[in-house]
Amino acid sequence: MRASPLYLRPRLEPPLATLLEAVPFLHSLVDGLGSPLNVVVPERIAENAERFRGVYRKHHLGGRVFFAHKANRSSALVRRLAATDPADVGVDVASLGELRHVLGAGFTPGRVMGTGPKDPEFLWLAARTGVTVNVDSYAELDQLAGLVRKYALPRVDVLLRLSEFEATGSGVKVLSRRSRFGSPTREVKALLDAVERHRDSVELIGVGYHLDTTGLAEKAVALDRCVMVMDECHARGLAPRVIDIGGGFGVGYVADAGQWERYTTELTNAVLGTRPALTWRGHGYGLRNEGGTLRGALGLYPAHRPSAGPGYLDELLSLPSPSLGRPLGTVLLEQFYELYTEPGRALVDQCGLTLARVLDVRATDTGPPLVRLGMNAADVSLEEHGVLVDPVLLTRTERGEGDDPAGVGVHLVGNLCLEADLITRRTVFLPRLPRPGDLLAFANTAGYAMDFHAHAAQQQPVARKVAVVGDGDGGSWRWCLDEEYWPVTYPGEAES
Amino acid sequence: MRYDTITEAIGNTPLLRIDPAVHGLRTIDLYAKLELLNPFGSVKDRSAWNMARPGLTDAVRRGATVVELSSGNTAKALALLAGMHGLGFKSVTNRMRVPEIKELLLLLGAEIEELPGRSECLDPTDTDDPLTRFHRTLAGPETSYLHTDQYFNPRNTEAHVTGTGPEIVKDLDGRAPDWFIACVGTAGSSTGVARVLREHDPDVRVVGLVADKSDFIPGIRTIDEVQEVGLFDPATYDTIEPVTADEAIDGMLTLIRRCGLLAGPTGGAAYHGAVRHLRALDGESSDRRTAVFIVCDRAESYLSYVRQRRPELLGKPPRKNSATALTEAEVRAEAKDIDTEGARRWLAGEHPPLVVDLRGPHAYAALHIDGSVNIVDELFDELVRGGLPFSKNRPVLLACPVGEKSARYAALLTRMGHPDVRSLSGGIVAWRDAGAPLVRD
Repeated sequence: MRASPLYLRPRLEPPLATLLEAVPFLHSLVDGLGSPLNVVVPERIAENAERFRGVYRKHHLGGRVFFAHKANRSSALVRRLAATDPADVGVDVASLGELRHVLGAGFTPGRVMGTGPKDPEFLWLAARTGVTVNVDSYAELDQLAGLVRKYALPRVDVLLRLSEFEATGSGVKVLSRRSRFGSPTREVKALLDAVERHRDSVELIGVGYHLDTTGLAEKAVALDRCVMVMDECHARGLAPRVIDIGGGFGVGYVADAGQWERYTTELTNAVLGTRPALTWRGHGYGLRNEGGTLRGALGLYPAHRPSAGPGYLDELLSLPSPSLGRPLGTVLLEQFYELYTEPGRALVDQCGLTLARVLDVRATDTGPPLVRLGMNAADVSLEEHGVLVDPVLLTRTERGEGDDPAGVGVHLVGNLCLEADLITRRTVFLPRLPRPGDLLAFANTAGYAMDFHAHAAQQQPVARKVAVVGDGDGGSWRWCLDEEYWPVTYPGEAES
Repeated sequence: MRYDTITEAIGNTPLLRIDPAVHGLRTIDLYAKLELLNPFGSVKDRSAWNMARPGLTDAVRRGATVVELSSGNTAKALALLAGMHGLGFKSVTNRMRVPEIKELLLLLGAEIEELPGRSECLDPTDTDDPLTRFHRTLAGPETSYLHTDQYFNPRNTEAHVTGTGPEIVKDLDGRAPDWFIACVGTAGSSTGVARVLREHDPDVRVVGLVADKSDFIPGIRTIDEVQEVGLFDPATYDTIEPVTADEAIDGMLTLIRRCGLLAGPTGGAAYHGAVRHLRALDGESSDRRTAVFIVCDRAESYLSYVRQRRPELLGKPPRKNSATALTEAEVRAEAKDIDTEGARRWLAGEHPPLVVDLRGPHAYAALHIDGSVNIVDELFDELVRGGLPFSKNRPVLLACPVGEKSARYAALLTRMGHPDVRSLSGGIVAWRDAGAPLVRD
C-alpha cells in the first residue's frame, strides 16, 4: 500500500503564482540565459513594503521600514524600493559593497542605515555621505568618532545595537540565545558615556536590537528594555527618538498547515525507523533515534507559519510590555518614539524564483531515482537555511499524461562532481517523473536562497538574474537583465 | 484520618462510575479514576513524590535546588514538596502557555526559566538545542540540582505500577477493566497502569490519547512530541488517537455540569476520547464490560484557557457605559473635539478645562501638558462604568496619543450627560507637532 505523497507545496501569491503559469516564457528564458536562472519580480517588493507600512498605520507609528539588503543582491529589487516613498522606506546595508550599491540605486543617504560589524572604509563612506550608523560595539563607536574628527566629516547619526536582554527579578527569566553582535545591555552606561564624550562627532538618534528568534516573548523583553534605555538617555539630556527592532519577521514557505504537520510527523517516524526513510541516507535534520526515543532538535525553518512578516510585526506590537503592561505599540506611540524595522526575508517574500533545467533522470536499485539538475546546492540554498518546500515541475512539452496520484519520490542532485552536492537531502515528491529538458522552479527564493551562497566552483556557471514585469492580468511578461532594470524601464507599468 | 505529613494523603483516590444517562453507553460501565482529588490537585502528585523522595535527604544536605522541565502539574507538586523540605524549585519550560499556572507557581515560590524560541536564521554552528544545554548543566560536576527528569525517570512509571494500577484492580473487585483510556504526557501514568492491568488480564485494551498536532491541550503531548519522551513506548498502546482542544473542553463541560466533577481540560479530553472510542464498540458483546479513564486535574487553573477558546462559556454580560460598545459612526456624531490651537486658547481662558491624559504613566512621566491629570485608559474605563467621574460644572479636555480613544470617551461622557467634554484632535502627537509646550515634572 502506498500512502498519498508527502507534498510540501509552496505558498504562491500573485504575481509569482501567475508567472509560474507562463511555462513557455520561463522555458524560453532558460533556453536563452542558461540554467540555473534567477527571476525577480520588482513590483512585489513595493507591495510588501506597503503591507509593513499598513501595520505602522494601524498602530499610528512613524519611522521607516529598512530592507535588509543582504537577503538579495538584486539591483532591480533595490531600485524599485528606492522609488517608494522616501519617508516610509529605507535600506539596511552591511558592507561597503552594499552601501555603494544602494547609493547608486537611488537611495539618498538619509534613507540608508549601516549595520553589522564594519571596516574603516565602510564607516568613512557612511559618515562622508550622511548615512545613519547602527553601532555594533563600543570600539566601533570610538573608531567612528575618530574618523569623523580626523577627516573633518559631518556629525553622524547613530543608533546603538544592544544585546543580552535577559530580564530577571519577576521570578520568570526569559532566556535568549547569545549573539556575537551588539553591546550587552549591562555595558549601556559606558556606551552612553562614550556617546556624550563624542557629542561633537556623533548624534544619538536611538537604540535597538536584532534577535535571531521566532519567539515573541524574547523580543518583547528586548523592546521593553530599549524603552528603559531611552529613559536613561533622556535623563542624561540626550534626545534619541528611534527604537529599531531589527528583523526576523519570517516567511511562510509551505501553503498548507496539514501538509507540513503530516510531513514532520512522518519524518519523526522515519528517524525512529517505523516507516521507510524520507531522506538521503536516512538523514534526520537534527533528530536522532536513541533506543527508540527521539533526541535532538529539528533543525528546520518552520516552513508553514500561521503568522509571518507584517502579521508577526502586528502581533509583537500588540503584546503587552513586560514591565509597563500596555501594548508595546502603544508604549512607543505614547512616548512619540519612531519605529525602525529591518525585514530582509519578509520584504522579499514572493519576490523571486530560481529555475533549473533537468539534465538527467536515472533509476537506482537502492532508492528513489536521481534527478540531476543544471545547478548545484549553492544556487538554491533553501536547504542551507533549513527550508523544506517542493519545487514546481514545468514540463518542456505537454505530454498528455496525467499526474501520478501517488506522486513520484526523487532525489535532486546537483551539477558538481561531489557526492555531497544534493539540492536537498529530502526525498522530494513530484506529481510525475520529470524528463530531461523539463524545468524545476524553486519558488520564493529571493530571501537568502538565491545568491547568498552561490559560487563558481568547478567553473559551473553562476546563475544570471532577470527582472520580470507583468501586464497585470498575467497575460504577458517582459523581462530584462537584473542590472538593466530601472523603475522607468517599462513606462506605464512600473509606476506607483 | 490523621496524618503527619501531607504526602501520606497522596493516592488512594476514588473510582467513580459515570452515570450511563450521561455517556449513553448501554453495555459498558465507564469509571473515572479521580486523580484530581490528590492533595496538590493532580495525578502528578504520585510521580513527583516518588521521583523526588530518594534524593531529598542528600539534596537537603547539599542545599540543592529541585529542577524539572515542566510547566504544569509536576512543577506544582515539586514546588510544594521542595518547599516542605526547605529547598528551592526551578521550572524550566519552553513557554508557559497557561497564565494562571505561571502565577500559581510563582505563588508557590518557584523560579521559572523560559527557554529561547526557535532560530529565525538557521545557524548550522548551533548544533545543540537549549534542552541539550540544560542537560549538560545538570550533568556538570558539583551540580547543585536535584533533577527529577520526569520524561525518562522509571520512578515516574513506578508510582503508577505500585499505586494507581493496583488501586483500580482492587476497586473493580480484583479484575482489570476491558479498556483503559489515558492521555499521554510523560507517559508515566498510562505506562504504569497499563503494565499492572495487563498482568491481570493480557486482553485489556489500552487507548492512548494525544493532542491534535495543531492544537494545545495542557498536559498532553502531540503525536510528534510523545516520541521525545523516554518513557513512551508505542507498544504500550493498542491504539493512539488525537483529541482537539475543543473536544477536551466539551468533555470537561460534561464532567463539570453533569457529573459533579471539577475536572480540567486533560480529564475532559480523556472522557471525550473514551466515549468516542467506546461508542463504536458498545453492544458488540452481550456481557457487561468496563472501561476506566483518568481525570488528571482540576478546572480552576484553566479559566484563561477556556476564555481564549470559548469566551461565551464565561458569559461576560455587556458592560454598562462601555466606550468599546460605541460604533465609529456614533463616535463621529457625538464626540466634540478641539484642535491644539483651540485647546490652548481654552486653557488660557476664564473657564479652563481639566485636562485628562489617558496615556500610560510611563509616557506621562516623560512629557505631558502642564497641569494635566494622568488617568490611564484602562483605569478610566473602570471609573466611567460607575458613572461620571467629574462634576458637570467642570469642563474636561481628554487627551490620548492620536485622538482616537479620547474621542470615544468624549462621546461616552457626552452620552452620560456631561455638557462640556472635548477630545484633543490629533492627540498629544499633534499637540507636540504644533510646537505646543510639554513639561516634565
